[in-house]
Amino acid sequence: MTSEALLSVENLRVVFNTRNGQTVAVEDLSFSINRGDVLGIVGESGSGKSVACYSLLGLIPMPPGKIESGRALFNGQDLLSLPENEMRKIRAHKIAMIFQDPMTCLNPYMRIADQLMEVLLVHTAINKQQARAKAIEVLVEVGIQNAAERIDQYPHQFSGGMRQRVMIAMALLAEPELLIADEPTTALDVTVQAQILSLIKNLQRKRQLTVIFITHDLGVAAQMANHVLVMEKGKLVEQGDTQSIFKNPTQPYTKKLLSAVLTTAKPASEHSVDYKRPPLLEVKDLEVGFPAYTGTLFQRIKSVVKGVDHVSINLYEGEVLGLVGESGSGKSTLGRSIIRLIDSQAGEIVFNGKDLSTITGESLKNARREFQMIFQDPYASLNPRMTVFDTLAEPLLVHGLANKSTVLEQVNQLMDDVGLDRRFIRKYPHEFSGGQRQRIAIARAIALKPKLIIADEPVSALDVTIRAQILALLLKLTQKHKLTMLFISHDMSVVRYLCDRIVVMQKGKVVEEGITESLFAAPQQSYTQQLLAAIPKL
Amino acid sequence: MFMFIVRRVLQAIPVLFMVSLVTFIMIRSAPGGPFDEDRAVPPEVIKNLNERYHLDDPLWKQFLDYIANVVQGDLGPSFKYPSHTVNDLIAAGLPATLELSFYALIFALVTGLTAGIIASLKTNSMQDYIPMSAAMVGICMPTFVLGPILLLVFGIWLDWLPVAGWGEIPGDKILPSITLGSVYAAYIARISRGGMLDILSQDYIRTARAKGLSTSRIVFVHALRGGITPVISFLGPAIAGLLAGSFVVESIFQIPGLGRFYVTAAFNRDYTMILGCTIFFAFLIILFNLLADIVLVWLNPKLRQELEARG
Amino acid sequence: MSEVIKIPELSQLEKGRSLTQDALARLRKNRMAMLGLYFLLALIVIALLTPWIAPYSYEEQNLELGASPPSAQHWLGTDILGRDQLTRIMYGSRISLAVGFIATAVALTIGVLWGAIAGFVGGRTDAVMMRIVDALYALPFTIFIILLTVVFGSSLLLLFLAIGAVEWLTMARIVRGQVLAIKRQEFVEAAISMGLSPARIVSRHLIPNVLGPVIVYTTLTIPSVILLESFLSFLGLGIQPPASSWGSLIASGVEVMEEYVWLLFFPGLILTITLFSLNFLGDGLRDALDPRASRD
Repeated sequence: MTSEALLSVENLRVVFNTRNGQTVAVEDLSFSINRGDVLGIVGESGSGKSVACYSLLGLIPMPPGKIESGRALFNGQDLLSLPENEMRKIRAHKIAMIFQDPMTCLNPYMRIADQLMEVLLVHTAINKQQARAKAIEVLVEVGIQNAAERIDQYPHQFSGGMRQRVMIAMALLAEPELLIADEPTTALDVTVQAQILSLIKNLQRKRQLTVIFITHDLGVAAQMANHVLVMEKGKLVEQGDTQSIFKNPTQPYTKKLLSAVLTTAKPASEHSVDYKRPPLLEVKDLEVGFPAYTGTLFQRIKSVVKGVDHVSINLYEGEVLGLVGESGSGKSTLGRSIIRLIDSQAGEIVFNGKDLSTITGESLKNARREFQMIFQDPYASLNPRMTVFDTLAEPLLVHGLANKSTVLEQVNQLMDDVGLDRRFIRKYPHEFSGGQRQRIAIARAIALKPKLIIADEPVSALDVTIRAQILALLLKLTQKHKLTMLFISHDMSVVRYLCDRIVVMQKGKVVEEGITESLFAAPQQSYTQQLLAAIPKL
Repeated sequence: MFMFIVRRVLQAIPVLFMVSLVTFIMIRSAPGGPFDEDRAVPPEVIKNLNERYHLDDPLWKQFLDYIANVVQGDLGPSFKYPSHTVNDLIAAGLPATLELSFYALIFALVTGLTAGIIASLKTNSMQDYIPMSAAMVGICMPTFVLGPILLLVFGIWLDWLPVAGWGEIPGDKILPSITLGSVYAAYIARISRGGMLDILSQDYIRTARAKGLSTSRIVFVHALRGGITPVISFLGPAIAGLLAGSFVVESIFQIPGLGRFYVTAAFNRDYTMILGCTIFFAFLIILFNLLADIVLVWLNPKLRQELEARG
Repeated sequence: MSEVIKIPELSQLEKGRSLTQDALARLRKNRMAMLGLYFLLALIVIALLTPWIAPYSYEEQNLELGASPPSAQHWLGTDILGRDQLTRIMYGSRISLAVGFIATAVALTIGVLWGAIAGFVGGRTDAVMMRIVDALYALPFTIFIILLTVVFGSSLLLLFLAIGAVEWLTMARIVRGQVLAIKRQEFVEAAISMGLSPARIVSRHLIPNVLGPVIVYTTLTIPSVILLESFLSFLGLGIQPPASSWGSLIASGVEVMEEYVWLLFFPGLILTITLFSLNFLGDGLRDALDPRASRD
């Protein structure tokens, strides 16, 4: 574009040669970024946004990957035609990267100090003492306390957020001109995400960094970037400055993405709930603990960690109750213990007047008909060796709700209900996409016409447009079948869309509960306020 | 770390005791006594011998006596060669066996690791296919087929290397060591390739590449430690296998080692010798498994620190 | 797994491709594995039919002929007593293969039961059972088998049991690991929460998903069992004359290899090719059943 461009990519095409033929990961991609700018690259999985950036630094595995054509001029030098030993001098020194999962991106066998100093020792002519001093200085800058001591620790001694700070320090150490951040906060809890985002933002301003920020989250892109580039299936959809793209998208795909985000930003739930009747489910003072084996392979030390700590909640018939919390809040444990996948140690689970927490055997088996679960990972929650028909017919036949002559019709009804084509019932789960699999899982959950459904993060593994479709499906089903649902999620905006009431959990305890809109409008507890403030907004 | 070692040593004691007990019971329940021979031995001689070796005592007493001696490091006299103790025989055979196993292991580690690491860096190329095909041959060609073939080709037809003996003619240690080590070289090549591939696909290797490190630094500083972990856990069983394999190699190349003594003792029903050797082998194998475990823990900072924290 | 019940209308719909079908298709593309499979099938058929198709009888000596190199009458030559080597190898494969398959079956039975119980029951039972396996791993097993053959005299039955009894350890570990991994999968939790009976969960949800690794490891256990039997027979501690297995044929070949190399070469070759075939087939099955897993 202009002469100020730090990096300009022209007609980039990247392919992968697999056993089943060639797939094009990036097709004819051109963009440029000026010094001091933050470019957000937005897209769903398979959009090629990461591959495009990795190929700039020669970090895609080749083979099977291949850069078929294109140029990437960085300071006038074509990155794509650089030999490997020249490229090495660019990496970390001129262009640095941070990655998605800080838990796996640091070498578990090396001290932080060695991993940091290595960058300087390889790229600059300074000695070990100087490198160490510099490393400590940058660790302080990214907000690591006691950096001089902690630098000699191993990665497993740091929390996820802290490790991402270390990764950022490592990237900034050699003072690169361009920072590529690949979904750096996706694996983190929302409050930690907010901290890391503001850290990156501050560092960018202070150091006049040029940043490419890859994300699937439009809110994050809006918050971080002044230019945005939208990608779909390897191709550029549109680009422009953030304001205009998000205010006036011109392409249908961008509009679809935005509407997928916006639908969940405003409440849509309308369930008729009679709060005067006694609740369908009453959890009283529930306590669930896990034996924690802190030992190693060789010796195990047993202690009890309280996953759910004296929790009481009520759930009324026809209501969708949101259970929100970050990792370690005990929300999934609570959900699993209600339907007796995990045993509780104390308290009561009164369902329809019966205490579930103590029943066993045949009465438990019969009770199970009345509550079903939808799981997070649609790849793990379906038996890979059973066809859709078998998966859906099994509960019906086992509980005698269908016989040989009616089962096919009932399965077909379920397929219609969840919006899947009836012709596919002889196919196996691996032949479906993630969103379709989640539909199958939902069909299985509603097959027995349960009184209560526990949905454990049912949309968090899905791309944003698919997520919107599944949420719409769940909303439709809860209204049509008058389902009562406990909806577990870490995502406040998703909960807002679907739930009538919300319970916020932190570290095994209930922090706050209330009607969705009043909770959003006036959160009482500081933790809830933090959670709400941490949502990146468009 | 110290407590960990102590604990593991203590765990080994009941295992050794069970080995001794089972072996002892099996041997004593065997049909035929040690002094059954073709020519008739006068009953009084048998009686004398039985008295001398306390074979008339109740079985449990014999066992306890035996264990008491073993704990003091005395494996008793040989039945077949009454002038020798089992300790003498083990001492006579052990150096050759240990030396042979040692050379075989070094051969296996050097060739196996080299082949495995190169193959993992050049997957699906000739540098991968050739060593991995060779490894497959190594795994499928038993020691007792490979040994005679090597002996025939290099010892007899080409006449490059000696065909028998141990430490008598220069070069007579080469063929036995290669014969014994080749299977383990093959396994180590496959295991290290798999281990390295596993580590090389980890996110932190991508981080290392993004830092602009050279390939050699990535391989040797970042990947190797994790990549050879499975090889180290294989070493315990490998050493057990090397000891057993030495039986065959020692008999093919006529090496006066412990393995040959053991097989001879098995043919001769030399009870104390078999008993002593079995306990001794079990001891060696447990020892090497323990060493492998210690190295594994020591290589893994997380495990190491957890152990240190506990003292 | 087939449908719960047969419904005629279903058959008109397009069929999906099951994971097993995918795996078989991948296996069929693996040339080495398929070659191995064909070789093994041929070997098994020949071994079964040996009493009828062997060119000579097992004991038939021809002392005048003595050891003779391969010829039109004796394709693989004769041994020092003038016995036809092809015939002896054919009878030897009956023993080697029988030990291989039956001892593996013994190992499979013990290992699967042990590992499955440990994995299903879990907790304290699991810890104790696996500690026993760990302890047994540290034993010198080859030596133990030698001991058994010394004590009880070597017989085929003893070989089956003894070899089977030592080869089950790894199988138990694999099965336990698989059961634990599958048990934690959400589809099993889903099955529990649907109120399915434990028997149904085991038979329809667990076993079909544990089967793959068991098949692979079984294929890889057979060669190590055959190898162990040959090893013992080579040392003279396994199969006793007049019966012979590949190992004892190799042992007698080694004694005279300087003069009559074919007596070492052919039994060694057939043993090596068999081991090759089984290993290639096992590797092929592993790749086919789990395309992501690399070799070893």
